[in-house]
Amino acid sequence: MHEGIMFLEKILSHGKKERQVTEDIREHIKLLCTACEVFVTALEKQDRNLMMDVIELEREGDAVRRKVISHIYEGAFLPYLRPDLCKFVELVDEVFGLLKDTVSYYLEAGLPAKLKDDSIRVALLNQRMCEMLLITFEAMLRGEDLREKILAIRIYEKKIDDIKFNLMSDAYQVPIENFWKGKVLSDLLSSLTSISDMIEDASDHLQIIHLGTR
Amino acid sequence: MAVHDLQQRRVGGMKVQEFMTSKIEVVDSNSSVYEAAEKMVDKRIRSVAVRFSSSEGDFGVLTTRDIVFKVLAKGINPKKVKVSEIASKPVVCIDRESDMDDAATQMLKSNIARLFVCDQGKIVGLVSLLDVMAAELISHARGDHVS
Repeated sequence: MHEGIMFLEKILSHGKKERQVTEDIREHIKLLCTACEVFVTALEKQDRNLMMDVIELEREGDAVRRKVISHIYEGAFLPYLRPDLCKFVELVDEVFGLLKDTVSYYLEAGLPAKLKDDSIRVALLNQRMCEMLLITFEAMLRGEDLREKILAIRIYEKKIDDIKFNLMSDAYQVPIENFWKGKVLSDLLSSLTSISDMIEDASDHLQIIHLGTR
Repeated sequence: MAVHDLQQRRVGGMKVQEFMTSKIEVVDSNSSVYEAAEKMVDKRIRSVAVRFSSSEGDFGVLTTRDIVFKVLAKGINPKKVKVSEIASKPVVCIDRESDMDDAATQMLKSNIARLFVCDQGKIVGLVSLLDVMAAELISHARGDHVS
């Protein structure tokens, strides 16, 4: 086995505490994938109960985040790695936060039919990005080169950026009853299309952790 | 969803609807080629859908190649040529649920650089050669690719 990979495995997963943390981070990202998947289905079916399930998954994600952070502060991993690992977990948590905001705005204002198709596409691509984030995390644990994975995430992010432009132009044509309804719709689109930026930041942070362990 | 499950998926998991561009620019078949060129340069796009009649499915396609090779390179005034005279019709369509593999095969068969994505006879998007390449890169990154 390559010396660098052995080193990475040693610092990332050999100790009991380290194994627990990596397992919890994995669980955290998987929960995010599930939340995104449920959100896509909820949008497609316009199902408010499924939307509530997304909020429930966000709460579960929050519990996992607290567990990871406390394990890290109990002494898992070498000190110089801890801030970056905590930062990564916080970024994943911010993705959860944006997803929850999107759901809250949806429950408040609904989604105009004109914006439904593009919004579902953005939600689907967000889900794909989360799946790729999980794959990137696993690759980092194995000490593999992350270049291909990060590029894939950037491709998805660019796609979402393109759709965002169309989505906003369509949104300008939606009749708005009053200021607050317009604001909530604007906030909904803003949080929905910001999720990908946050996932990209999280993946960039994985790259930073990866470089830090070389 | 487990990474193992994700990695079990073949390239076939890459659906056209994930990679298509949903904003389609349309010009009327009676417009001049000059007007179409203006739109394409302004929007920085390489093709536009051409609406031949008011019915939803009656579309053609006009590409930058058509304009340059059939009009400009021949020294013809683009203001005097109608889009309908040089546009290709009918358009080649693919279903949004199709795999990107099928899109690539269809492009190869028809020797074209873009496919319209159709849903119940209505154009809902466009996939290009660049989208096929993007799908391939993502497929590699997911570990779906089998050499």
